Amino acid sequence: MTGSTAYALYGVFALGAIAMFLLLPQPQRSRPLVGAVAGLAALALLLVVLATRVATADTTVYFYLFAALAIASAARVISHPRPVYSALYFVLTVIAVAALLVLQHAEFLAVALIIIYAGAILVTYLFVIMLAHQGGSAVYDRRAREPLWTVLICFLLMATITTRAAVLPPAASPKGVPVSSSVAAGPAQLDGPPATFGNTAAVGATLMSRYIVAIQMAGVLLLISLVGAIALSRRKVRSDVPPMSARPLGQIGREVQPF
Amino acid sequence: MIGVSEHILLGAVLFGLGLIGFLSRRNLIVIFLSTEVMFQGVVINAVAFARYHRHLDGQAFALFLLVIAAVEAGLALGMVMLLYRQKQTLDAEDWSSMRG
Repeated sequence: MTGSTAYALYGVFALGAIAMFLLLPQPQRSRPLVGAVAGLAALALLLVVLATRVATADTTVYFYLFAALAIASAARVISHPRPVYSALYFVLTVIAVAALLVLQHAEFLAVALIIIYAGAILVTYLFVIMLAHQGGSAVYDRRAREPLWTVLICFLLMATITTRAAVLPPAASPKGVPVSSSVAAGPAQLDGPPATFGNTAAVGATLMSRYIVAIQMAGVLLLISLVGAIALSRRKVRSDVPPMSARPLGQIGREVQPF
Repeated sequence: MIGVSEHILLGAVLFGLGLIGFLSRRNLIVIFLSTEVMFQGVVINAVAFARYHRHLDGQAFALFLLVIAAVEAGLALGMVMLLYRQKQTLDAEDWSSMRG
């Protein structure tokens, strides 16, 4: 990334930081509409800056489409005052990222991402949100903690990473030989039209030969997590809030507020 | 041709957005959702480098990342439920006594 592009990106990040600061839930001086407009402007500028330095190809437009979708939905995940909507916007992020992985010829990983994230992890999140639901959006959802400093630091981090990306040559040119010669089928199927659809066979061969020990360890880790989650959920907890059943039976109905 | 720099940029933006959510939100569940957004940025980076080096190591790394994300979600949500049952709130500020 040359100097002028980097400076343009810094400007885009500054605009994005302002947008994110306005979008974060805050009780006073909250202007989500202005934030949304600024955020969309920053996103459009980011795409324009990227488009000026990349020669167009037939799949380029899909990268821009899904990148914009991923960034916009991720911004909504962290700024929406209701957790259920955050989780649903996160599904959108996962789908956009999976589409980007397909563009990168990582078909197996894209499908795995959708199945594991949108299928399994998000359902767990939604279950917990429903279990801990308190009706409407709570006070702590409508008030962010130190939004100014957080946005400042995180956008500085983004700008720093972007500057370091300048070291790499812009085109996706292959850099010589692979780091280590693993499966022969692996590198050949990464690029170009594959003989059969997807790279599942190549990924599976890599995982089952080079990473076989890591696969076993991942299985053990999942088992440990399973046992740990069950042990955690079965634990007896001393609640600080008196439960409903501890009160006299006739009093319970009278204390309930009518909505 | 979309190169590795653009994917690093996109991954950095997703990671940064997740970090903002992780640091600034107060709902425990949204905090953990923000870590998942950060994971998405890392997955994009890993796969972009796999293509850059024409090697499947990055994709294998991303798969292990999915495993870690699943483990983290299971355990973290179990703990969140435990905390919720004790105080009947999801506010992270209520547990600030653990700062010491």
